[in-house]
Amino acid sequence: MSRIVHYLNQFFTGVGGEDAAGMAPVSMPGPVGPGRRLGDLIGPDHEIVATVSCGDDYAAGVDGAIDEVMALVLAAEPDLVVAGPAFTSGRYGLACARLVAAATAAGVPAVAAMHPDNPGLEEAGGAPVVASTDTARGMGTSLPALATAVAAVAEGRTLTAADGRVGAVPRITSLSDRSAADRAVALTLKRLGGDRHATEVPLPRFDKVTPAAPVDDVRQVTVAFVTEGGLVPDANPGSLESARATRWLRYSLEGTDTLEPGQWRSVHGGFSTAWANADPMRILPLDAARQLEREGAIGRVLGEYYVTTGNGTSVGNARRFGIEWAADLHHSEARAAVLTAT
Amino acid sequence: MDQPAASARLVHDVRAVGLGRATSYQGGALTVAGADAQACFADPSLASVSFSWSSPGDPTRIVKVLDAVEPRTAGTGGAGVFPGFLGPAAAHPPRTVHVLRGAAVVVAGFLPRAQEAVVDMSGPAAALSPLGATHNLVVEFEPAPAAPWEDVDVALRRGSLALAVLLADAALDAPPDAEERFAPAPDPDLAGSDLPAVAGLTNLQTQGAFKDVFVGGTSFSGSTPALLDPAALDAGMIVSGQFGHPSLKNPTIVHQNSPVVAALRARHGVDLRFAGLVISPEPVDAAGKERVSAQAAELCAAAGFDAVIVTKEGGGNADGDMALKMDALEDLGIAAVGLFAEMAGPDGTGPPIVVPPERATAMVSTGNYDHRLALPAMERALGGAELALLSVPATEAMELPVAVLYASLSPLGWGRLTCAGDAVAVTSNGEDVG
Repeated sequence: MSRIVHYLNQFFTGVGGEDAAGMAPVSMPGPVGPGRRLGDLIGPDHEIVATVSCGDDYAAGVDGAIDEVMALVLAAEPDLVVAGPAFTSGRYGLACARLVAAATAAGVPAVAAMHPDNPGLEEAGGAPVVASTDTARGMGTSLPALATAVAAVAEGRTLTAADGRVGAVPRITSLSDRSAADRAVALTLKRLGGDRHATEVPLPRFDKVTPAAPVDDVRQVTVAFVTEGGLVPDANPGSLESARATRWLRYSLEGTDTLEPGQWRSVHGGFSTAWANADPMRILPLDAARQLEREGAIGRVLGEYYVTTGNGTSVGNARRFGIEWAADLHHSEARAAVLTAT
Repeated sequence: MDQPAASARLVHDVRAVGLGRATSYQGGALTVAGADAQACFADPSLASVSFSWSSPGDPTRIVKVLDAVEPRTAGTGGAGVFPGFLGPAAAHPPRTVHVLRGAAVVVAGFLPRAQEAVVDMSGPAAALSPLGATHNLVVEFEPAPAAPWEDVDVALRRGSLALAVLLADAALDAPPDAEERFAPAPDPDLAGSDLPAVAGLTNLQTQGAFKDVFVGGTSFSGSTPALLDPAALDAGMIVSGQFGHPSLKNPTIVHQNSPVVAALRARHGVDLRFAGLVISPEPVDAAGKERVSAQAAELCAAAGFDAVIVTKEGGGNADGDMALKMDALEDLGIAAVGLFAEMAGPDGTGPPIVVPPERATAMVSTGNYDHRLALPAMERALGGAELALLSVPATEAMELPVAVLYASLSPLGWGRLTCAGDAVAVTSNGEDVG
């Protein structure tokens, strides 16, 4: 019988919603909330002996929060740590990812579940994370997948994409029974046989961007501002998404020297927007741009800025936005652009 | 050009080693006379040299390892081996060579630009270096006062090659333990065969003094890609003077026994035709890399290769040479397979390749550069008293990335390290090295 400690945020342990997001970590005996169903699914070989829960703001925003969570987790003497599913919830995903990274580093096997677009995913480093659905509506399919992963991790198996693993899969150095040269010949014969997928090194594909030539004289040039910071008029008239954006928008800067709080806000879902909303020019520095314009350091600020939300945006959409922005700007008077990023 | 003939290695196994009054090879026992060895290194730029054997299983750590050479000769005095160094750079080097298998001449000590390189003769790192399994005659040296380092480098290279010949000469009259015969590449007997023509494309690191590779005695820097008769490798046509990137270097001994050539020879006439070998420099500028990559691919196309195995020497910038050549080959319809060491960070989650190919896809992993390994304490150190990287006594227990272990990520394919997990197509029955 292996002892499992389960991590859930304040919402899934029933403590509360955003009102309870500041809750410090607590430990509860046995399975709680979705942990009960998870406990049933993982069967009699494993027992959820404790559930540790923490408010999302506390877990993601307080220094040392994960150390506090880990202390409670270790106090329950786990053989294995399970976190989530966190779906696409950013702060929750961050906490789950950091917890499984910390547990793995401490030598305790661990696995988390979250949607592949969860912005916290990469915080897991090389610790295993399996996919969940994007929202809790998919709990019914996410928990069995997590239970299967728990069993695999408990057996000491390394999870792979076939197990629904998402995020970085660590490249583990090992000794093959054949030399690299022998394997190269075997791979050559496969490749000659028409197999274009056989490889020992699967790679992400990166775009290669050739920078534009420097601007001859920036004092003569109209400068555009573009941002992925999600900054829109307060009513968000274009319905810009807070994550996984599918669109970009254009808003006028004509006749204004400042972006007033309350009239503009960031809808970005990947970071706390409190400081951005307190001064929208932290996202789009119009005040500084206007000053440069007055001083003659730049020619002119383009009359419109371009905006999208860069938060879990698919590479495909991001590429499309870039292409469309470049084409659009090319037809404007702008000959330089400043991209502010968050 | 004449059609190349078959070539052969007469292999004499070295099973025991020692120092003695006369240099001899008898019944597998290799004895070296100190005076003979000293004579090889008589040079005004060297104040002194000393020699020690270290054998597999010894509690010895060799640090500051520079080059390693397998003893070979074609007749007394070498008779044409190591062309350009010990004799003229002949167009047709000897096709039959005597090999002292299981022995190596290893130069170890400080040279500028050389990066700390470690060989353990026992413990977990021994299996990761080609020198962990050979009896190594380690040459330590003191430069002459005021001698230019470039001259010291030249004297060490000439000396180690001469010593390698001296040792192999001792076996000229001994009956070989094995005779290895190789068909020429290309092989006229298989000219009409349906088997695919597969070749090697070996990039040589060419970055000037202490980071250079020599072909027929001359730096290959600035050269265009060229066909090289694989039999010339057996005669020592390629000699390393490249002392950077310890795990990613190709010492002379690995060129002499080119693993890709060996693997292709082993399948020749079975499921492929070993069709030849192209060598290319690794220019230091992007335009040069692009130029030689296009040239190499065109040469491979003109030679009628169906597939090419591409290898490199060095770190990230050499990945650029790999990627450009593999893409250039695929663009000409030639299947390209490349050997890459990964640089995925200590936890293995970083991007593994610095410059991946864009159109070619087939890559072999020779292991993660950043993978860390705990090495036990040793009783004896050769090459230096201190490990430069950590400024600790060289005999101490220490943790090192495999990046520091000599030729451990062999870009020429010697090693068995890999990061290929169970999610990839090519199998590896791995056991965790860490």
